[in-house]
Amino acid sequence: MATTTATITLNSGDIADNSMSISNTATLYTAGTDTGILETTGLSRKKFTDASEFKLLDHGLAGSQMADITADKSAKVYIKNINDRGDGTKYVAVLINSIEIGRLYGGDWMFFPWSGGNDKDVDIDAYDATETTLEYCVFFE
Amino acid sequence: MATTTATITLSSSDLLTDNLSLSATMNLYKGGTTSTGLDELNYHRAIIPTGTNFTLIQESAALNATGSNYVYIINKNTDVTDYVVVSIRSEVIGRLYAGDWMFIPYSDATTATAGVDDPSGNDSDIEIQAYTHECIIEYAMFHDGETLLTASDS
Repeated sequence: MATTTATITLNSGDIADNSMSISNTATLYTAGTDTGILETTGLSRKKFTDASEFKLLDHGLAGSQMADITADKSAKVYIKNINDRGDGTKYVAVLINSIEIGRLYGGDWMFFPWSGGNDKDVDIDAYDATETTLEYCVFFE
Repeated sequence: MATTTATITLSSSDLLTDNLSLSATMNLYKGGTTSTGLDELNYHRAIIPTGTNFTLIQESAALNATGSNYVYIINKNTDVTDYVVVSIRSEVIGRLYAGDWMFIPYSDATTATAGVDDPSGNDSDIEIQAYTHECIIEYAMFHDGETLLTASDS
């Protein structure tokens, strides 16, 4: 089996009276086991100038890697908006089944478990038609 | 303003034929600004019993107005079969098994009456339900303001 780890570190010296430092490492296992995940899309890059919602991770694409992902399996998604922050107003909204989770401004990243399944695609909806580049990676079983 | 950074490191020496090593760092800024850091924080630890889907983070008009909040959640259990399902607006995002964490932007895309869950279910609360066993959850939200509730006896 493979050993893949995801570490997060949250640091601030001034958001509170005392410094804050949170660090945790997760090993990416298959669902409910301590067996390491063996599959990944690898790091992918998508460039677009489309201001309308589109599918980044399409569960419904028959035969694709994403079609293997269902709620009883383990999958983790990393997405980063690698654009510059610019004036701070431009973002891409990340959605599941057209429900907005949140907005990635230039330079922002997110990492989350993904249940997948019918119609549970991960979609992107950009603020405007500014050329945007995303990097993303899925780890799955 | 505060300076807060979030760093992710993804590593594996044997998932692919070559080493995987990816690292990214971001500053947590207020929406619509170039470099103004978020300066409000909630940090919680909770034990989530099984059997009920709970509201973990309740939407509010203030969260909705800013569109730039960030949420970190970790399942601190150690039994690998224990997990929580994390949802938003009744849409399942995914399962956090023991030791798993997630970090997402949270835009709270819709607004219900602050302090009162939306009976229509058409809200953007972040919800959580534990399976197998109760789960110890730690979660943080970095935000640009919450709707404060007027005390009922004021």
